[in-house]
Amino acid sequence: MFLLSLTRILKFAFQSFFRNIWLSLVTVTIILLTILSLTTLVLVNVITDQAVAALKEKIDISIYFEPQAKEEQVTLIRDQIAKMQYVVAVDYVSAQAALEKFKETHAREELILEALQEVEGNPLGPVLIVKAADLNHYPLILKNIQDFKIQEFAKEIDYDDHQLIIQKIEAASQKIKQIGLILSIIFSLISLLVVFNTIRVGIYVHGDEIGIMKLVGASNWFIRGPFLVESILYALFGCLLFWIILFALLTFINPAISAFFGDINFNLGQYLLQNFFFIFGFEFLVITILNIISTFVAMGRHLRV
Amino acid sequence: MIHFKNVSKIYPPQTAALTDVNLHIKPSEFVSLVGQSGTGKTTLIKLLIAEERPTKGKIIVGGWDITDIPGRHIPLLRRQIGVVFQDYKLLPKKTVAENVSFALQVAGEPMNKIEKIVNQVLKIVGLEEKAMRFPNQLSGGEQQRVSIARALAHRPKILVADEPTGNLDAINTREIIDLLLKINELGTTILLVSHNREVVNALKKRVVTIENGHIVADQARGKYIL
Repeated sequence: MFLLSLTRILKFAFQSFFRNIWLSLVTVTIILLTILSLTTLVLVNVITDQAVAALKEKIDISIYFEPQAKEEQVTLIRDQIAKMQYVVAVDYVSAQAALEKFKETHAREELILEALQEVEGNPLGPVLIVKAADLNHYPLILKNIQDFKIQEFAKEIDYDDHQLIIQKIEAASQKIKQIGLILSIIFSLISLLVVFNTIRVGIYVHGDEIGIMKLVGASNWFIRGPFLVESILYALFGCLLFWIILFALLTFINPAISAFFGDINFNLGQYLLQNFFFIFGFEFLVITILNIISTFVAMGRHLRV
Repeated sequence: MIHFKNVSKIYPPQTAALTDVNLHIKPSEFVSLVGQSGTGKTTLIKLLIAEERPTKGKIIVGGWDITDIPGRHIPLLRRQIGVVFQDYKLLPKKTVAENVSFALQVAGEPMNKIEKIVNQVLKIVGLEEKAMRFPNQLSGGEQQRVSIARALAHRPKILVADEPTGNLDAINTREIIDLLLKINELGTTILLVSHNREVVNALKKRVVTIENGHIVADQARGKYIL
């Protein structure tokens, strides 16, 4: 009996979805637009986070040694720094490697390359690149390095320039997150009202039919069932359609986003694919719950026949 | 079959739609309920199908006291009383056959039985050829016949027809009344609500007249007296 009713409820839901195709399309479109606005906000947050994280990743303390500094001395210093608190990695770049990298970076600048040829030998010294787990740890690490008295070997410790940028990035990132949170709340509330009213209008259109169903002896659950399933179908089709459109759009906008990130390795399409089930599932679940609640509330009045 | 005992229905604040109504309808009877608009005819029907509850009195249908029927039992009651309305009340997005079978599907009847019954009742109302049409593809008379077919699907012991000819022309009115008579001959109790004088007089059946919420006349082979 339960299975029979369930089968009939599913059949009626699909029948109603396709026979009221214009109403279904309007509802699905509104759900699609709701998801679009929310996902856009989420993606802006993700892109900002990725951009900030990528910039933070680029921050380090570079210690440039004099060309005559011996490798043993530098590696000894490297080992000492590596033992320091909060240091996660210390990369050693030999003088030769530094020269190669310099040439590579300035491969198209003939003047620089000519000047380099005129200088006898390698004018560059080895470099130590110090990485910390957190940006906030750099000042302490820097102080510890300076206490280490390496000035006689090191000609430059390159960090101070970054400090201001880091502070600005941190401040901007915090502001973006705050604005994002406020926008998310506003958008969520608007979406909630839009979806609720769309479903309510849909049920209102069927108001007379609900009354007829009651009069011919249908139980409340038998009447509610198809509408609830239909509201799940709206959510499913809305989400599916949105993701199809999003991936189609990505083929056009992904190169632009990748270009924006430059040499930072971030691919939005790949990110979405990796997190597809989580984001899709979350959106589908939220819209479905919203639709079901809206259907329940909207049907209440019509079921009192 | 149907028993109204001292039934009153008062809508807030103090509008009496029915006052101390006593009515007894026997099985297989054909009863016309007549009266001018707003006299309480529809309220009586609403009480019968538990769309409204009486303020006072008792209502018994087929031995079942439905005066304070719990909400969960209302669908069971409505599956035992076939109701036909003036505005047909068909589901617009379902075909003729689907409209009729819907009444059976809600009761959990198996599909093979449903198909058999749908064919039978559509044959009775003469619409077996139009089973796959949608209501908007039918005339008013045909829509009313679908409504009657749906009401008959459960093989109810009682068929209530609330102004079934109100929207129909003379020819269709005659057809619908003939159909109701045919159903009555098969043993179904018919309660016809009408204010069509010609129809009621031509029937030569029991006529109950309501005026201002009171039963003012109850004649075994009556006429429309208002």
